Amino acid sequence: MELTTSGVATLRRDPDQAAGDAEAADAALAASGDGRAFERLYRVHVARIHSLARRMIGLDAADDVTQDVFIRAWTKLATFRSEAAFGTWLYRLAVNVILARRTTLGSERGRYDDSESALESAARPAAAPEISMDLEEAMSRLPDGARQVFVLHDLEGYRHEEIAKLLGIVSGTSKSQLHHARMALRKHLE
Amino acid sequence: MSDAWTERLSEYIDETLSEGERVAIEAHLASCAACAATLDELRRVVARARALDDRPPATDLWPGIAIGIGLAPGAHPVASLGQRRARRRLSFTVPELAAAAIALAILSGGAAWLLLRASKAVPMATTATPAPMPMLVNAALSGTDPRYAAAVADLERALEQGRGRLDTATVRVIQKNLSIIDRAIREAQSALAADPGNAYLNLHLAEQMRRKLELLRRANALAGARS
Repeated sequence: MELTTSGVATLRRDPDQAAGDAEAADAALAASGDGRAFERLYRVHVARIHSLARRMIGLDAADDVTQDVFIRAWTKLATFRSEAAFGTWLYRLAVNVILARRTTLGSERGRYDDSESALESAARPAAAPEISMDLEEAMSRLPDGARQVFVLHDLEGYRHEEIAKLLGIVSGTSKSQLHHARMALRKHLE
Repeated sequence: MSDAWTERLSEYIDETLSEGERVAIEAHLASCAACAATLDELRRVVARARALDDRPPATDLWPGIAIGIGLAPGAHPVASLGQRRARRRLSFTVPELAAAAIALAILSGGAAWLLLRASKAVPMATTATPAPMPMLVNAALSGTDPRYAAAVADLERALEQGRGRLDTATVRVIQKNLSIIDRAIREAQSALAADPGNAYLNLHLAEQMRRKLELLRRANALAGARS
């Protein structure tokens, strides 16, 4: 509590806490059907959800998947418990939606090329030396499995055991994929 | 540089090695410049990845989402009554149920008139801003009401004609949500068959049917606006 003027005390609130409270309130409003509250939540989280989708399954499908995530979030808001942060709940939902879509896209593309040659291709620097490839572009050239493990572990903070469960692989494979992704990406650091 | 050690560098960074492995790899790193250099590069990859900024999509996706959840782009969103009612289901009192039954009885008379009106006023694919269509449907009645089915069929035909003007992502969202709503309608009808007097189920079914009409109407409006 902070004393401002004589006899007047105000509560000083942590900005993060205030933002969290506002989000929790919007989540409750949205769960009761308030579309404007849901749009506010969308505005706050769309960049992260879209970035996650773009990095996991590519730019082509990112818009579509992002819309799908928010539409599903709307229908599942009643299951959101305010003890957790809304963002955490939404990102978990997004990962599940993206991974479900990944299966479909994998079938459509007819491939999941996690071979050594694909990793080497991702690691190969741009043809013109003056054109430096940024990390995101280099990530997009990784094989699907290595890219997804890299994004989930190094960007989203998932543990190997969680990744293994999500991707239907064993923990050792997740560790191996992560290492090979990092080894491929280190060539694009300059 | 030993491949066997290189393969463990990521685990070393992530601190998932056992104590013995950690001591051994640190001893190796102290004497192997190549592995030490690779370790440094891998650490920079991790740091760069963690520092990546999130970027919003190039175009605003909210209009498509608003359509997907039954809200018009730019319009004042309405409360999703189905969700609110679902939560209140167990708190219905006898007077509330009685009031709901009376309301349903009153609405059943009006519903037929509204449905008839609605079916005559089906917005065509070229309609840019269709008039509001406040559908209040007695679900028990309209579950088999041919006028409701006709209104839906008209809107679906118009949408089929206008779908070429919508981008594929929007079409996918619309189709997906129509299928979700259709499933909800089927489930509600099935539940009502077992419990025809359930006021909540009647309201829920009416809400889903209203949502379907609303979604079709908005999709047609969107297609019309792009013609």
